[in-house]
Amino acid sequence: MRTLRFLISARHLCARGRGIPAGQALGTGNNAQKQVTCCLHTSPPPGPPQATSSAGSVTPYEDVFQREQRNKASFVEVLDLYCNRDVRRRGHVEIIEAALRWMTEFGVEKDLEVYNKLLDVFPKEVFVPQNYIQRMFNHYPRQQECAIRVLEQMENYGITPNKQTCFLLLQIFGARSHPIRKYQRMMYWFPRFKHTNPFPVPAELPADPVELSRMCLHRIANDLDSRVAVYQMPYTEKCDDGKEREHLHVVGIQSPSQVSLLAAHNPSTPVYVEGPFPLWLRKTCVYYYILRADPDPMRKEEEIDNERSLYYPLSLDLELDRDLGDDDSFDVDDVEEGPVFAMCMAGSGDELLLGKWIRGLQETNPILGQTPVVFRLNSGPQELSVPQEKEAEPKGELEDDEGEREPERRRMEQ
Amino acid sequence: MALSLNIIQKLHLCRHPRWTKPFCPLLHPSSQLLQCKLYSSKYRRPGLPPDNTPPWKRINFSFEKGVAGVKKHFGLLKKEVEDHLRGPGGKTLRENILEQTNVVWEFRSLEDLDKWTLSSDQEIGGKSQVSLKLGRNNQTALFYGTLNTEVPRDGETRYSGYCTMKSKTPLGAFNRKLHYDWSNFNTLYLRVRGDGRPWMVNIKSDSYFSQQRDDLYNYFIYTQGGPYWQDIKCRENVYISLSSCCLWQIPFSKFFLSSRGRIQDNQHPLWTDKITAVGFTLGDKANGPFQLEIDFIGLCNDRAHTEEFAYEKYKRNP
Repeated sequence: MRTLRFLISARHLCARGRGIPAGQALGTGNNAQKQVTCCLHTSPPPGPPQATSSAGSVTPYEDVFQREQRNKASFVEVLDLYCNRDVRRRGHVEIIEAALRWMTEFGVEKDLEVYNKLLDVFPKEVFVPQNYIQRMFNHYPRQQECAIRVLEQMENYGITPNKQTCFLLLQIFGARSHPIRKYQRMMYWFPRFKHTNPFPVPAELPADPVELSRMCLHRIANDLDSRVAVYQMPYTEKCDDGKEREHLHVVGIQSPSQVSLLAAHNPSTPVYVEGPFPLWLRKTCVYYYILRADPDPMRKEEEIDNERSLYYPLSLDLELDRDLGDDDSFDVDDVEEGPVFAMCMAGSGDELLLGKWIRGLQETNPILGQTPVVFRLNSGPQELSVPQEKEAEPKGELEDDEGEREPERRRMEQ
Repeated sequence: MALSLNIIQKLHLCRHPRWTKPFCPLLHPSSQLLQCKLYSSKYRRPGLPPDNTPPWKRINFSFEKGVAGVKKHFGLLKKEVEDHLRGPGGKTLRENILEQTNVVWEFRSLEDLDKWTLSSDQEIGGKSQVSLKLGRNNQTALFYGTLNTEVPRDGETRYSGYCTMKSKTPLGAFNRKLHYDWSNFNTLYLRVRGDGRPWMVNIKSDSYFSQQRDDLYNYFIYTQGGPYWQDIKCRENVYISLSSCCLWQIPFSKFFLSSRGRIQDNQHPLWTDKITAVGFTLGDKANGPFQLEIDFIGLCNDRAHTEEFAYEKYKRNP
C-alpha cells in the first residue's frame, strides 16, 4: 500500500517537475521507482535551512529568520513581530517548526527563556478540550505534536523545563494533554539522573589553557596527593627579525607515589613518552601525554619487614580457612602494564615541547638523567603543524635500532 | 545524557521505527542471528526499495557448510550433556550456590571478540565508524571509532550518531536460544578504561511476549579518562577511591526499563534469571574519536546492597 502511494505521488511529481511522461516513469519498473523514491526522500542539505522566496513553498517563514544579526535579541524579535501581527496567530505551527530549526544558528538552543517564548506563540485556550469526546480523541493533534517537538528539543539539549513551561502548556492544551504528559515525564526523570555522574564536568570550561590543563590533569590523575607543575607558560616572543614566536604551555602532574616509582626504575631500560591520548570533557577533546615504562618482569614485590613497627604488624597473613562463599575476588588474569610515572598536557605534540617537560621532570627525578627517554608519539591532530618531527614507530622496530638512533632521539642526558 | 521519554503511543512508534532506532541500537544487530533477522527485516531505510528476494534464495545450500554445521552442533550437544551431568550450567552444585563473583566476558583472545557484534548508525545511513580489536598485550578489548552525528539525508531520520557493541545471544546445540542465569548476583562489575565519555550499559532479558521484544534495561557508566583502569563498581552513587583506582559497580536495581529508546512509564525491576545480551552504547552527541578499553565484565554479589528497585513502580509513573 505504501509503495503504491509513493508510486502515485512520484508519478505526479515526475510528470509535473521533470517533464518525464507519467507512463514512462511507471513503465521502466523497479529501477525508475527507486530513483523516484530516492528523489522524493532527499531532504534539504544539512546546515542552516535555506530561504525560500516563493509564497507557496512547503516551509514558510524561513525567510524571516534570514537576518544579518543572529543572536537571542533578534530571535525574540522575530517571534514578537509574528505575535503582534495577527490576533489569530495563523500559521503558528509552521513558524514554531521553522524557529526550532534555526535555533542553533542563533545560538539560543540552550536557553530556557527562548523555549518558553516559543511555546508562548501558541494561541491560548483554543486547543483545550471542552467535552469528553474531544478529550477521548487526540484534540488538535498537529499542535500537540508541535509542542512535543519543542519539548523534545529541550530534552535533547538537556534543559529542564520550569514552572512557566508547565503554566503555558496548561493554558494552551489543558491538563492531561500529551505535551503535559511529556513535561511530567521530563520532570520525573531529569532530576533522577542529574547527579549520577561521579566525575562531573563543569558547565563552563576555563578558557585559559593552563587552567584547563590543570583541571584535566587532576581529573585523570585521580590522586589527591599529586601536584601540578607548570613547566612553561604560554607567551609570544618577539624575535630580532620581527617575527613572533609563540611558546605554548606545558603543564605536568606527578604524585609522590609516582616519584618513588620512578626512583625505583632500572635506568638501563628506557622510559617512554606516549601520546597523545584523548580526553573528552563534554564536547571538547583535549590530549595528554604520559611517561611510562614497560612492565618489568624482573621486578619483585618488596617484602615488608615485619619488625619495622613494634606496635602493629605491617603485614598479616593469617591462614583463615576461607570458603568459596567468602571469596570476593574475580578469577581473571591481571592486565600487565608498565607503571605510569607522570602525565602532562602540552600546547602541541612536538618533541621539543615535550622535551621541556622531561627536562623539568629531571629536577625532581634525577634518575631521568641516566635513563634513555624514547618518544613514541602517534600522529595526533595536534602535530599537523610540525610534520618533520612526527614519529610513529612500532615498538619492535624501536628496540632493534635503539643504539644508533639514540643520539638523534634527544636522549635526555645532561 | 541521551535520555528520551515515551511521548507517543505505541501505535505511533510502530509506524515510525526509524527515528527511535538511534536510541536502541541493540535491537538492530547486524543480522547474525535468526531472531534478530526477523526483527531487522522490518526496518528498511527510507528511499530503499523492499527486498523481494524469495526466502529459498537466501539459504546457502553448500555441502561443506552442512558438514561443518553437523560437526559443530553435535560437539555442542556433547558438551551440553557433559555439563548437565556435572551440574547446572556446567558447574558443580557447590560452586553454583556459593560463588560470589563470576567473570562472564573477558578479552584475552580473538575468540572472545567473536562473541560480540558491533553496530553503528551506518545501518540507518549515518557516518559513524566502529571497530573492535585486542589491546596492546592481547589482554583487553579496545572498542574504538569515530562518532558522527550527521543526520542521513533521507528526509525522515531526525537523529543520528550512535556506536554500540553488543554481546551475541548464546546459542546451544541446533541453534537453540540459551540465556544467562544471573539470579545469584545483584551487581554488574566492569573494569574499563575510557576517554571521559559517558556510555550506556544495556541489558536485554528474554521475555515471553513479543510485545516485550524491544524492552531493554539501561544504566549509565561514566568514564574518567586517563591511563588508569577504572573498576566500575558504584555503590549507591558513592565511589571509594583506593590508591588511584576507583571502585564502582552497577547494581541491577538501578537499571530502568526502556523500549525502543524511550523510558517507559511503568517501570519494572530487571529479572536476572534470563539475560540474553549486554551492550554498550555511546551517543553523547560529541563528534570525534572515542575509545573504550574493556578488561572484563563480571558479576558479583554485593551483600551490602539490599535495594530491590531504584524507581517507583506506580501504575502510572509521572
